Amino acid sequence: MRLSSLQYLSAQGFGNIRHNKLMSFASFCIILVSLLLVGFSLLFYVNVSSMIRNVENKNEVIAFLNEDVTDETIDEIKGHLDSNNNVLESVFYSKEEAFADLKMEMSADYPTVFDALDSNPLPHAFKIKIDNIQLLTDTVKEIEMYYGVFSVRAPYEFADALIGLSRVMTVVSVSIIIALVVVCMVIVSNTTKASVFSRRKEINIMRYVGATNAFIRIPFFIEGLVIGVISGLVASAATWIAYDSFVRILVEEEEVLSIIGLTSLIDFSTIAAPVVSAYLLVGAFLGSAGSVLSMGKHLKA
Amino acid sequence: MVELKDVTATYPNGVTALRNVSLRINDGDFAFILGSSGAGKSTIIKLILKELDAAKGQLIVNGFNLSSIKKSKVPALRRTVGVVFQDFRLIPNMTVYDNIAFVLRVIDASPKYIRKRVPYVISLVGLQDKTRSYPGELSGGQQQRVALARALVNDPRLIIADEPTGNIDPELSYEIVGLLKNINECGTTVLMVTHEHDLVRHFGGRIISIEEGSVVYDDYLGGSYEN
Repeated sequence: MRLSSLQYLSAQGFGNIRHNKLMSFASFCIILVSLLLVGFSLLFYVNVSSMIRNVENKNEVIAFLNEDVTDETIDEIKGHLDSNNNVLESVFYSKEEAFADLKMEMSADYPTVFDALDSNPLPHAFKIKIDNIQLLTDTVKEIEMYYGVFSVRAPYEFADALIGLSRVMTVVSVSIIIALVVVCMVIVSNTTKASVFSRRKEINIMRYVGATNAFIRIPFFIEGLVIGVISGLVASAATWIAYDSFVRILVEEEEVLSIIGLTSLIDFSTIAAPVVSAYLLVGAFLGSAGSVLSMGKHLKA
Repeated sequence: MVELKDVTATYPNGVTALRNVSLRINDGDFAFILGSSGAGKSTIIKLILKELDAAKGQLIVNGFNLSSIKKSKVPALRRTVGVVFQDFRLIPNMTVYDNIAFVLRVIDASPKYIRKRVPYVISLVGLQDKTRSYPGELSGGQQQRVALARALVNDPRLIIADEPTGNIDPELSYEIVGLLKNINECGTTVLMVTHEHDLVRHFGGRIISIEEGSVVYDDYLGGSYEN
């Protein structure tokens, strides 16, 4: 095909958007709404997952050590903990620190309760943060096996609640996203079909004068591509503005922030590149593939 | 050249529109296909353009055997045929110039050739002052002349006119058929489908009459037309 023909077909694609303003605008709106619905659902899911993860990181497992544990054994246990893949952080908590903390905690209400004690009855311990709370039971069992560890106290109920919440969130979010994707694909497909149907005579004329299917498709492909990319750009801008405004409102609400934690909210600038790229790619795909595939039955030989 | 050998055509809904039709239109002929509505006239056009497949028989159009033609070759077949429809079928958002140039762009003609050929064909149908007009700005007769120019522009071997006078005033009808006669005199085969007996009597030529899917008359008739 000549370069001049390609230029002509590209110009036709752009021209068609102008000539078919109403259907182009309908396609643009449908693709935009589809992108925003799926995009916001995904961002909601990503943020809720981040919040759950943040709460997860607040878990604390305490490994109590044997009474007669030596410094070498403590170092050994520390080494084991550091090399454990599911241990995020471990801090040695000496019996002296524990006793001092206990005294401070109880001295106000029971000032004489420790007078009868000759010595510190508390054991040395490690305060441990678990990485993946779903593997809590296995990790606790591993820690219990370390030589010098007397017992391990873990927040099993908290872990179960979080795992349950996380599963429900995943199932609900993924179901909503899949449903939205299906609904959006049906709507986009119907809109592009309506757009192509409204121009079936034009397609027929092209066929009668001997245009190949590729020649007929190229302007429709370009038209769909341009509408899709514009939808993607507008969706990116709208998401950015809406997301930032939403985060700003949440940041101002101290109560909400204390529950979810400031670090749980993902800053849009950190995810802007993948979000904008995904919007542009999906928009371009929906627009171009939608147009070209909808032409199928109008292009029978 | 168009040749139908014992052709039967049936639509997907089961209606048989042509029954065992055999006819041959030689290069340079001017033939009227005459018949009432539903007689099978338009079916012949659909067969020639490979819009419809023959259920039986053999069809040869400009050297293409339509019984065995590959799908990918159908555009090449259609490029050898210019078609003029009753409802003009111009692309509404293209100017007169672009509607005609479009056919040349389809065959990947050079921009230089397009710039030379399109104005020439527009002048043949007498629409030089309407080059930049859109179809919606033209009368029925003018639109049909654009359609005729479009059918002519890539110098096809055969022009099919499907009721080209059906949507225009009677006096313009004679003008359009006159233009088709002129084109034919330059060597292009013309096949015109019509049900207007007056036109046929006026222009004369080969008359193929179809009734209920069968050819009932095929002969030459002298007309009162003089170029």
